[in-house]
Amino acid sequence: MTTYIVRRLIGLLPLFFGAIVISFLLMRAAPGGPQAALAGIKSITQEDREKWLRRWCLQAEVTPVNMVKEFGGWLGVLNCDSDTIPEIFFSAQGGLNVLPTALGGGDNGILHGDLGLSIRAGRPVVDVIMERVPATLLLTSTALVLWVGIAILIGTYAAVRRYSLFDQAMTFFAYVFYSLPTFWLGLMLIFIFAVFLRTSGVTDFFPTGGIITTRDWPPFNTAEYWAAFGQRPLAALVDVGRHLVLPVFTLVAVNIAGDSRFVRAAMIEALNQDYVRTAKAKGLPSRTVIAKHAFRNAMLPVVTNVALELPFLVSGAIVTETIFTWPGLGRLFIESVNASDYFVLMGLLLVSTIFILIANLLADVVYAIVDPRIRYD
Amino acid sequence: MTVPATVTSSARPAGDSDILLEVRDLRTYFHVLDGTVKAVDGVSFTIRRGQTIGLVGESGCGKSVTALSIMRLLDIPPAEIASGEIIFEGRDLLALSEEEMRHVRGNDIAMIFQEPMTSLNPVYTVGDQIAEAVMLHQRLSKKEAWNKAIEALRAVGINNPERRVKQYPHELSGGMRQRVMIAMALSCDPKLLIADEPTTALDVTIQAQILELIKDVQDRTGTALMLITHDLGVVAETVHDVLVMYAGRIVETGTVEDVLLAPKHPYTEGLLRSIPSRGMKGQRLNVIKGTVPNPFNMPKGCNFAPRCPYAFEPCAEYDPRIEDANPPDVACWLYTPAPGSPVPPRVRPRRPVEVGA
Amino acid sequence: MSDQPLRSPATSRVTPLTDTAATDYEVALESLNQWQLAWRRFRRHRLALVGVGILGVMVFLAIFGPIIWPYDPLALRRDLPGPQGFNPLQMPPFGSDGSGRSVFVLVANGARLSMLIGTTTMLIAVTIGVLIGAIAGFFGGWIDNLLMRFVDLVLSIPFLFIVLVAARFFGAGELVPLILIFGLLSWPSLARLVRALYLSLREQEFVLAARAVGVGDLRIALRHILPNAIGPIVVSATLIVANAIILEAFVSYLNFGLKAQDISWGNALARSQERIAVGNWWWPFFPGMAIALTVIAINFLGDGLRDALDPRSKE
Repeated sequence: MTTYIVRRLIGLLPLFFGAIVISFLLMRAAPGGPQAALAGIKSITQEDREKWLRRWCLQAEVTPVNMVKEFGGWLGVLNCDSDTIPEIFFSAQGGLNVLPTALGGGDNGILHGDLGLSIRAGRPVVDVIMERVPATLLLTSTALVLWVGIAILIGTYAAVRRYSLFDQAMTFFAYVFYSLPTFWLGLMLIFIFAVFLRTSGVTDFFPTGGIITTRDWPPFNTAEYWAAFGQRPLAALVDVGRHLVLPVFTLVAVNIAGDSRFVRAAMIEALNQDYVRTAKAKGLPSRTVIAKHAFRNAMLPVVTNVALELPFLVSGAIVTETIFTWPGLGRLFIESVNASDYFVLMGLLLVSTIFILIANLLADVVYAIVDPRIRYD
Repeated sequence: MTVPATVTSSARPAGDSDILLEVRDLRTYFHVLDGTVKAVDGVSFTIRRGQTIGLVGESGCGKSVTALSIMRLLDIPPAEIASGEIIFEGRDLLALSEEEMRHVRGNDIAMIFQEPMTSLNPVYTVGDQIAEAVMLHQRLSKKEAWNKAIEALRAVGINNPERRVKQYPHELSGGMRQRVMIAMALSCDPKLLIADEPTTALDVTIQAQILELIKDVQDRTGTALMLITHDLGVVAETVHDVLVMYAGRIVETGTVEDVLLAPKHPYTEGLLRSIPSRGMKGQRLNVIKGTVPNPFNMPKGCNFAPRCPYAFEPCAEYDPRIEDANPPDVACWLYTPAPGSPVPPRVRPRRPVEVGA
Repeated sequence: MSDQPLRSPATSRVTPLTDTAATDYEVALESLNQWQLAWRRFRRHRLALVGVGILGVMVFLAIFGPIIWPYDPLALRRDLPGPQGFNPLQMPPFGSDGSGRSVFVLVANGARLSMLIGTTTMLIAVTIGVLIGAIAGFFGGWIDNLLMRFVDLVLSIPFLFIVLVAARFFGAGELVPLILIFGLLSWPSLARLVRALYLSLREQEFVLAARAVGVGDLRIALRHILPNAIGPIVVSATLIVANAIILEAFVSYLNFGLKAQDISWGNALARSQERIAVGNWWWPFFPGMAIALTVIAINFLGDGLRDALDPRSKE
């Protein structure tokens, strides 16, 4: 099994590389670019600006050779302190730039953990991204766990009681909710909870914006926030919880439909199998037949499906975060695109791509673990 | 009153306490979009303790549905057991609650199916699946059940059962899986084993092994056996008595020797004649002309009449039922005086049929 | 009856029934070809028929909406004085602002671009996807490997991210680039599906039979395999349309989509968000409703098609 994983990881490298290259080219082909953006930051000196330009090999013109240089710089393969070959491949310490710093390599580029500088914030991209990660993960993982759990319950029940009222109602609602644009649902919810209920005098128990009540708490995920959290953990949890309700509801409502239909289909497929007939012929009670025999087999495709949905954790809430002004990665992405914050965008793309590839690998691995018919050694 | 057709079996004395299963006038219908299919249309027979009986007929004649009706494994819509009684050890299975029926399944009556490839759950070990039934019906502990599973595997001729019992179905060949199915079925010492085309999906050589195994097991344990198949050869080798089905009805019964060597019903005769033999080289094959009747539009009168080479006046008008014959072992107006027929029945002398002639 | 003694062998003649009687009872089912059967199954699917009905309305709006109820997009942006209210009894329906511009007209006009985007995206995606998938699945080997690696590559890129980046940097609010972007990003999953279909259908016996009589590759791929694969392809195509419509709405909502002068449902939704604060919920509600209804209808239709075209379907 471990050999399989390692082999697959190695096989993913070209894919990863290719995806990154495409993303990079797409970004760079856009008008403007980090050059211009860097020029716009007033807070750094000209000297610093030159340093940054060299550090990431940012070039003035967009030519194929320059693109390769920039990509190399961003990766961390090239060291643009000098401009001639072969010096460009070697770090200040003297070793091949691509090697880890400890072994004599350089310290620029993503290979060395430097994702660049956020032009908008003037801070390293890594910080900017990491700061937003908890909020997004909180939102998306809550939603994912909830909708997968509920979908499995509903889908299984509908499959077992096929054509019943429950099944038909579930199917109908599944279609309806599956077809609703997430943000429209969100907007309507905002209206109901923010405007309608408030104007009718009902207090807003479920806030429609942000992750914390700004009057009462410092900004989320800052040092001050965690200090305040330590003092009143329960109140903090309740506060965040109240803010979570609407966005999570929006995400769950739209996504539960697809997954519950999938679970239902998988269960029906499993229930139609011959071994279920055998189990019944042995005299097993229905409960056991369904739960032990059919369910276990139905979960194989379901688990794979969930694994493939994992990229959602990182990139799935862009619009929801925008509507509910949730301070997460999705909002960061939108803000960065609007500001042409080049490095942040590349950083986000990098993270998402890694997630997608890992999720695909995970799906295969989990399937192999769970299905005894598949052994890759 | 319809008299159930008891299979005459010279080897056993008749006695009511001996009767294990009595099916009376079973009718099972399927309600589908285009109408109602009478898959089983008035089937009656008896099985005694330890008796081996074959249920023979071509695809679609209702033999599997009969077995599934006995086990009550049919999906009730669209299926419907419209009428009849299935008396097992004195109780009518059709009147039992689902809970009570569960105790019968696997425990008193066990069934094995045609497709060994798909009839075992791929995600559980073979041992798990056998032990499951044992734990359920005999309330043994996990360890005891596991040991019983190993013994069961040994009893069906699987070598190295300690190792095999931990394997998954996909690690076993088709023949071995069928052995596992048999082991699973017999693990709770059922009184009746129903085998629905157990060898059809297997290679010919494996077929012979499995049949041998079934016979052997049946001899050893004294379990009654109902073997369902379309293959007359299988029947000839494995069971003592035979029921021939056509279009949802039993058309002939008797011992294997009687029915296969000197068939009464024209359908049985046609089946036997259609088996090619070596002497037929270069000659046309004998086929039963026509095709199986449209299930939504059964012929008036005898179901087989349109294809029957011996059909005469009453056949298109009146439906012969096996219970009305004397002895009640064939459903054909050639052997039973027909109502409204001016022609007395013609008795065909019993003579051996030359197979393939 | 059963007590009557059996008579001696009959001396009278037995008249066998003639062959015609046999044929009367032979299985005489109407034979329907595959498409007729599919149509029959489809007709029984009530939800699918509802879907078709809704789509009919939408298509009507798309074609005739802007003609019957022309709309001036500039009017939306002015903050108009006067009574603003939602009164369903008042024409035009769905509420209006004081100057008589109505949400209904907005929706009627938006239909055209939204539906257009949906269908053209689907056409692009289907053309490329089926082509690549069929080639990969039919020929197998290194061609398959190469093409599928390429598909994997495109699928590894975070979809929404790339759409947004491309839409912002290359789209510039124009219709054609937007459609191209959507289309170019939608074909990979369809290609995978088509490839899987071709891979399995290629092994079927009817292909072998065709080859055995000398039919060439191209003809087999087109005339023999493709009609058998058309079911899942059609279903996927309908889903692509639905996804494209929602995607357009997403993208426009974030202001990355069509420029302000164009009217689409997505655009309408985007620009009406601020009206919620004032309590005019109907501005975003109805365009969103139109999107939702269209997508629901497409999903119903897709489900009906899937059941109708799947030969193994038991319903």
